[in-house]
Amino acid sequence: MASAIEIDRLAFAWQGDQLTLDIPHWQVEAGETVLLRGPSGSGKSTLLSLLAGINVAKQGSVKLLEQSLSELSGRKRDRFRADHIGYIFQQFNLLPYLSALDNVLLATRFSPKRRQRVTESGQSAEQLAIQYLQRLGLSATQQQQAAANLSVGQQQRVAAARALLGAPELLIADEPTSALDSDRRDDFIKLLLELSEQNNTTVLFVTHDASLGQYFNRHVELSDINQAVGGSSHA
Amino acid sequence: MLKLAIKSLANRKTSALLTVIAIAVSVALLLAVERVKEQVQANFANTVSGTDLIVGPRSGDVQLLLASVFHIGALNNSMSWQSYEKLSQNRQVDWSVPISLGDSVSGMPVVATTTDYFKHFKYANRQPLELQSGVWFAESEQAVLGADAAEKLDFNVGDQLIIAHGTGGVSFSEHSGHPIDVVGILNRTGTPVDQSIYVDLKTLEDIHSGETAGDAEEHTDGHTGHDEHADHHHPTSAISAALVGLKSRQMALFMQRDINTADGEPLTALMPGQTLQQLWKTLRVFEQALNGISAIVVIIGLLGMLTILLASLRERSREMAVLRAVGAGPGTLFTLLVTEAVLLTVVATASGLALLYVLQISLAGLIQQQTGLLFALQWPTTAEWLRMSFVVVAGFLMSLVPAWRAYRQSLADGLTVKV
Repeated sequence: MASAIEIDRLAFAWQGDQLTLDIPHWQVEAGETVLLRGPSGSGKSTLLSLLAGINVAKQGSVKLLEQSLSELSGRKRDRFRADHIGYIFQQFNLLPYLSALDNVLLATRFSPKRRQRVTESGQSAEQLAIQYLQRLGLSATQQQQAAANLSVGQQQRVAAARALLGAPELLIADEPTSALDSDRRDDFIKLLLELSEQNNTTVLFVTHDASLGQYFNRHVELSDINQAVGGSSHA
Repeated sequence: MLKLAIKSLANRKTSALLTVIAIAVSVALLLAVERVKEQVQANFANTVSGTDLIVGPRSGDVQLLLASVFHIGALNNSMSWQSYEKLSQNRQVDWSVPISLGDSVSGMPVVATTTDYFKHFKYANRQPLELQSGVWFAESEQAVLGADAAEKLDFNVGDQLIIAHGTGGVSFSEHSGHPIDVVGILNRTGTPVDQSIYVDLKTLEDIHSGETAGDAEEHTDGHTGHDEHADHHHPTSAISAALVGLKSRQMALFMQRDINTADGEPLTALMPGQTLQQLWKTLRVFEQALNGISAIVVIIGLLGMLTILLASLRERSREMAVLRAVGAGPGTLFTLLVTEAVLLTVVATASGLALLYVLQISLAGLIQQQTGLLFALQWPTTAEWLRMSFVVVAGFLMSLVPAWRAYRQSLADGLTVKV
C-alpha cells in the first residue's frame, strides 16, 4: 500500500546544534487514521511545519504522498499543499469577514485540482460545501453568517468542512478540539473521521490528549519516534 | 480575488472610507485645477470668433485684447477717428466695427459702437448675437443690454438708465442729464457680452460733449479731445479699438505687420487667437504652481492610504495565515494587497470625479454671477483622464510597498500566527 507520510532520517534544529527532531523512520499508510500525541514542547509544531512544507529539513527527507517536499520549489510546495492536504488548526482557521460557506469554498478557490475533484463528484463546490456544513450541523442561516459571529465550536466545524472539501488525500489537524468541551469534541472527531473515510482521506490528528486514541486506527507517541532529547522550545 | 479584496476592505470600513475620502478630495482638487484652466480658456476662446484683427492704440497685445473684448483693465490711449476711417477703407478689410469704452452703468461696462457690431460680432462657433426681447438700437439715446447686465441691474425694455463716467462700480460723475432708453436685451452668450451695455457711438459723444463745458478735465482719460460737436461726418473724434474682418484670413499676418509698422498714428493690431495663446503662455507658471500643489495633495492622500495599509498588515497576519493555509501562495497575497489598494484608488478617483461634478453643478451659478464664466458640463477631457490614470498608477506603485511586506511576512510566518 502507498504511504501518505514517509519520514526518513530526519534531523531538524531551529538553531545551533540542539536537535528538535530526530526521526530515523516513520510512516503513515494511505487511508490510515493516526493520532499523534505529545506534550507541548515535544516538537509537534515543528513536525507539523515540516509536514506542511513551511520549513524544510536540511537533513533527511519528508515525503507526502510519495513526493519529497524538499525537491519542490516554494511555489510548487504551495500548490502541492493546496491540492493535496487539508488543514485544521487549533485557532485562526477562518476569515472573519467571509460567511461560513465562503470560508469553506476558499478550499477550492486556490486549488484547481480540488475544484476538479469536486466537479468529478458531479456536484458544484457550493452544493457540496452546503452538504458538508449540514452534516456538521450548521443550519442554512448559520452558513450565511460571517465567521466572526459563529461560536468556537461552529468555527471548528466550518474549518473541518473546508479541510475536507475537494477530497484531499491527507488531512492534518492540529489540536482542533482544544477549545471544545468533551461531548462536542467526541462528536466532532467522529464526524470528521466519518467524512474522511468517505473521501478516502488519510488523517493525521495531532493532540496532547491521549483519551482520543480510541477513535483512530493507530495511536503514536511522538516521543517514541523522535529520538531528540529535550524536544523543542519553539511553541 | 476582487471579491475577496472587497470583503476584506468592507471588514475595515472606517479606515477604507477615510482613505477613499482623503484621496477623492485630492483628486477633485487636481481635476478642478485642470477643469478651471480648460474652461476659462474655452470661455475666452469662445468670446471672439470671426474677428480677424483687433486694432487699437499702441499698447501691449494682451492689454489691448483684454480691454477691448473682455473689458478687463483699461487702455491708456485712444485711436483717432481718422485712423479708423483709413483702416476701414483698406482694400483688404471686409468689415470693421469701432468700439469706444470707458463708461459704465453700476459697474457694467458700456460699449459704444455702431449697429454694425450686431451684424459682425460673432462668438463661440461663429454665432451671431440674438435679441431676447426688444430691438437693436437705431438712434442716439438708446441701449441694448447683455443678459446679465439686464438681470443684475433689473432693467427691462422700456426702462431708462443713466451712464456714469469711468468703469468702477461707484462713479462720482453720472451723466444724469442724459437718460438712455433700454430698447433691447440680448440672449445669454456666456461671454463678456452678457455683462455689457451697448449704445451708439453718437450717444456717448452727445453725452460727453453736452457736458464738456463744465467738466472737460474729467474726460481726458476715457475719451480724448472732443472736437466741436459740429462735425457731422464723424460720430466721434476718437475710439478705443476696432474689430476688423478681412476679405481673406490669410492676409491677417500681413495686415498686422502693416499696421504695426505704419507711419502716422502709432497703432497696434493683433490676432485674437494668437494673443490668447500668448496670454496662456504668460499664465502657465501659475497654472503649473497650482498643478504642483494639487499633485502634492494627491500624494499626501496616497501616503495616507499607504500608512493605513501598512498598519493593517499586523492585525491581518491572521488573515494572511488562513489564506496561506488554504493554498494561497505569497504571490497571491501580494496580488490581494495590490488589488485592494488599486480598488481603493479607483473608487476614490471615481468619487473625486463625482465630487468635481457636484461642485461644478452647485457652484456654476455663483461662478457665472461673479466672473461671467460659463462652466459647461461635459464628459472628462483627455487631460482629465490622464490625470486620473496617473493617480491610479501612483496608487498601484505605492501598493507595492505593503504588498511586498505582506509577501515577506507570509513567507516568514507561514501558517502560524504571531500575535
